[in-house]
Amino acid sequence: MAILEISHVSKFFGGLAANSDVSFTMEAGMIMGLIGPNGAGKTTLFNCITGYYPPSKGEIIFKGRRMNGLQPDKVCKLGMVRTWQKVRPLAKLSVVDNVMVGALCRTNSLKVARAIALEQIEVVGLSHKTDFLAGSLPIGERKKLEVARVLATKPELLLLDEVMGGLNPAESEEIVRLILDIKARGVSQMVIEHDMKTIMRISDRIVVLNSGEKLTEGSPEEVVHNQAVIDAYLGESHA
Amino acid sequence: MASATTSRFSRSALIKLAVGLVLVGGLFAVPRYVSSPYALHIMILIFLSTIMGESWNILGGYTGQYSVGHAAYFGVGAYTTVMLMQFRQVPPWIGVWAGIAAVLVVALIIGSICFRLRGPYFVLASIAVAEIMRLSATNLDKFTKGAEGILATEIPVFIIGEHVVTDFLTKVPFYYIGLSLALLTIAVTWAVQHSKLGYYFQAIREDQDAAHSLGINIPLYKNIGLAISATLTALAGSFYAIYVGFVDPSTVLSLDLSVQIVLVCIIGGIGTIYGPVVGALALVPLSEALRSNAIAEGLFKSGIVDPASATGTFLKENLAHAHVLIYGILVVLVILFMPEGLLGFLRKLGARLKQGRA
Ligand SMILES: Nc1ncnc2c1ncn2[C@@H]1O[C@H](COP(=O)(O)OP(=O)(O)O)[C@@H](O)[C@H]1O
Ligand SMILES: [Mg+2]
Repeated sequence: MAILEISHVSKFFGGLAANSDVSFTMEAGMIMGLIGPNGAGKTTLFNCITGYYPPSKGEIIFKGRRMNGLQPDKVCKLGMVRTWQKVRPLAKLSVVDNVMVGALCRTNSLKVARAIALEQIEVVGLSHKTDFLAGSLPIGERKKLEVARVLATKPELLLLDEVMGGLNPAESEEIVRLILDIKARGVSQMVIEHDMKTIMRISDRIVVLNSGEKLTEGSPEEVVHNQAVIDAYLGESHA
Repeated sequence: MASATTSRFSRSALIKLAVGLVLVGGLFAVPRYVSSPYALHIMILIFLSTIMGESWNILGGYTGQYSVGHAAYFGVGAYTTVMLMQFRQVPPWIGVWAGIAAVLVVALIIGSICFRLRGPYFVLASIAVAEIMRLSATNLDKFTKGAEGILATEIPVFIIGEHVVTDFLTKVPFYYIGLSLALLTIAVTWAVQHSKLGYYFQAIREDQDAAHSLGINIPLYKNIGLAISATLTALAGSFYAIYVGFVDPSTVLSLDLSVQIVLVCIIGGIGTIYGPVVGALALVPLSEALRSNAIAEGLFKSGIVDPASATGTFLKENLAHAHVLIYGILVVLVILFMPEGLLGFLRKLGARLKQGRA
């Protein structure tokens, strides 16, 4: 069953088409990789999907329901939630309070929310930092906090925007394991990642964006051998 | 180990509770032992500042929406209560509910306009709306008597059954009302902080976009924060109006007042339960001392400055007039050197002393 259908989505900023006629479908339970050079329009697509702004054209269908015009909080309540490329910790709140904010999406009880939060903090491996202020965490742990916080909202579809950006290889590896772990729990994920090797490893399917347009789509093998993709990446930074 | 920490936690909570009860008990006993109207007056002003500070804190401190227009709620509460009492013979303990209702209407209108804006734009919009209220009160003189203001001459006697509870002729009833309202606002703040509301308010303060993505309906929760804050501020306004017995646009609807309300919080410690109490305890006596020239008197009495000397004459003549300036400088110093307010500073100091001892 398709959990998410993007159909002919465009997003214009003035004259700039950050997304232009993007269409693809995502099956439930899978990890969909979303790649493309800097400025390709990946984050913009996340913003459209999660309601930060309405797409200029096209439709977004989540679980069979048209999402255009729904605010991010409604989108989250319906089971779709995103992380931020530029992390957004609630700096003056503790780690557990940050994650509780996510958990309160499904409950009014602080006690229940705290239990959910502690569980997710354990999942991402931050249990030793439960009572630290979020603002005091180093970048690697901030990224984990982002993931714990969205997991606490009990999503069906997670949108992860470069959660490995700026991490060292060991930290990235932890996140990879975390993503696969989340998949094993049956949560669908769309993952933006810059590093080709990583995305090849974890994705069931990959969509490639370039200059706002969908360049191609396919299994990791198909994508990595696609001449247009090779050109786009060689043209940029792939070493 | 877990049980050790929980038992220590509950013991410190018990100690806090005991200290709190003793303090509150002591405050309720004060009018039995203190008869100086001036002392009671200062206490009432401290209560009033606390009520205003705690009220603003819910929206400004917890939710991060820096309203510099809270005089609007204070003034509408004050005017409604006084006008109903003076022109319609409605007793203030009933009029205050009308005041709250009026303020809620104003708050919802202000919320729907201002909450579209963020940061400095929200601040400016909140000032603008309060100024509109002030100008309206000044110009609608058929209803409000305009700049002349309304003198409340008719506070009715408060009777329950046959029993006269109070005739409002001394400061004592106002002392008890002020104390009760201050405790009420502290209790409301405590309840907010220990609920889903508090979490959502703080999430919005820390990062509105992140909060939005985590399922928080931003306009709804901002408006809830505003409604609580405005309601409590209206209580403060009504209380002030009955206590002072006079309202006019340039006091109860002034920008000055809006700034005062914010300062109580910033000086005391923003976004904390007891910050506004500390702010009120610091600012009210300071402002009174400066206004009454107590500083110059003190310098003369302690012999540091000879009142007959040129410096003495200068101080005598100018210190009282300069009170706004001195007040401003002190406030700036606190803001610069104690970013978390006096409460944050005291806490840090306490922690350092504890560390030093250990
Ligand atoms: N809010 C915005 N206003 C104007 N231009 C934007 C905005 N957001 C993104 N863009 C532009 O859209 C393009 C795509 O950006 P983005 O989606 O962030 O790319 P990616 O995430 O793939 O690196 C860029 O050229 C960027 O400058
Ligand atoms: Mg991006």
